Amino acid sequence: MSRLTRATQIGSALIRTSLLTAMQYRSDLAFDAFAGLLRTIATSAPLLLVFQRDQTIAGWTLPEAAWVMSLYLLMQGILGGLVEPNLGEVVESVRSGNFDLVLMKPADAQLLVSVRTVAPSHIWDVLASILLAGWAVSQGGAPTPVNALVAFGLLICGLASMYALWLMAISLSFWFVRVDNLRFLLWSAADAGRWPIQVFSGWARTVLTFVIPVALLTSFPAMALRGQWDLSALATAAGVAVTFVVASRLAWTRALASYTSASS
Amino acid sequence: MRHLLRAMPTLLKVSVARNVAYRAEMTIWILTATMPLIMLALWNAVAASGPVAGFGQPEIARYFVATLVVRQITGAWVMWELSHLIRTGGMSAHLLRPMHPLWTYAVWVATAIPFRLVILTPIILAVGTWRPDLFVWPAPQQFALFVVSVTMAWITSFLVQCAFGLASFWVDKSDGMFESWNAVWGLLSGYVAPLAFFPAAWRPVLDALPFRGMLGLPVELLGGFLRPEDAARPLAIQAAWMVVSFALVMTLWRRGLVRNGAFGS
Repeated sequence: MSRLTRATQIGSALIRTSLLTAMQYRSDLAFDAFAGLLRTIATSAPLLLVFQRDQTIAGWTLPEAAWVMSLYLLMQGILGGLVEPNLGEVVESVRSGNFDLVLMKPADAQLLVSVRTVAPSHIWDVLASILLAGWAVSQGGAPTPVNALVAFGLLICGLASMYALWLMAISLSFWFVRVDNLRFLLWSAADAGRWPIQVFSGWARTVLTFVIPVALLTSFPAMALRGQWDLSALATAAGVAVTFVVASRLAWTRALASYTSASS
Repeated sequence: MRHLLRAMPTLLKVSVARNVAYRAEMTIWILTATMPLIMLALWNAVAASGPVAGFGQPEIARYFVATLVVRQITGAWVMWELSHLIRTGGMSAHLLRPMHPLWTYAVWVATAIPFRLVILTPIILAVGTWRPDLFVWPAPQQFALFVVSVTMAWITSFLVQCAFGLASFWVDKSDGMFESWNAVWGLLSGYVAPLAFFPAAWRPVLDALPFRGMLGLPVELLGGFLRPEDAARPLAIQAAWMVVSFALVMTLWRRGLVRNGAFGS
């Protein structure tokens, strides 16, 4: 348990210092905040466009689809704010050899590279996510505690899988240096998670559940909130999450082992 | 201009070789433009219960396939190149050449178009087998207008990226600026939805903004959603924005070079 406590301490210290670093550059921060707001609006505005007429889409009403969007924004906030900014950094430090400095520190390197820099402007995503969720509850009613608990569990599975996917992308940079644009590819695939999974055809659903498992944290929990869940859905989510986390940890340790610093 | 014509064959050869050398990277870039396919699936589900603003399911498929094509043709990456060049000082080497550096990039980006279309072909064929009724060849007149319009869209997109790249002479965050521009562009250019789906009150504003000319207009012409006799006004607006972006880039370039000298490079 003490290892976990220590990891939490290190993680929160890292987030704190990177927040402080980001706040030093005040004009940049103000600008980022504005850009982040635009990005959040552009992400969620199509929802209104799609539901202009009073209708259901692939069996989803507007409040139900708002849950999907809300969860997507939450993921964009967490992954985009905490994890993704580091991908570019790792790629650059592997190229320059600065990664040595990370390895010398007496803490798990995965933790160090995962939350070394943060993008505070993604706070808009989290705010918009909370707003949308609040609106969805006011329109569609609050979910039952059991459904909410299941949805939360699915959300955690989804977040863990998506984090693992990003970590695998980071690991790839140890072998192929030019993978910065892989993150654009990941985002553009994850974009599909903004919409209820029933919108897509069979094979795309499989991809969004098992390959780029973004549906695990958007559509699955949103369905669970209205009681549409069973044990097989839970088992699938847990299975995917465990597979992704284990695979990413393996990829990461492999990547570390293959790292030859610029000086050696 | 004579310099340029003389250098052009070599420039073309070098650009094609560069694109071949970075083919894996380019393929990844091409595949990042999946948004039209996602929006196709989404609007297809919406139109299942009846046409949206006159767009039935085949029209929606046609619109978003046209979007995919226009997006690939007009895609550029010069913003990242320029800002990297300016920040690292690599611009100095480019300035020694007897040719405007932006020409190098223009040719490089333009020679990528065939690669992009080749990678696009299987995707379009796949959509075509799913919904064969989407293919309707535009009339010759429409196609001619499309060529004019997509050329202007390419130039404008290229120049806008140049403008954001050149902003690196003054600010560090030019890629963040471009990302927010891109977010607005995606929403208002017809990328996530045909402009016809927006509330009618918005249309005059949407038509006057530069975004339609960067994507929506060529898409509408290619897909046959805009009659040639109605195209004059939007084409004029598109041309006006192209001229504005050209003037902007030229101003930024001149002023930026003065700044660049101030760094003592």
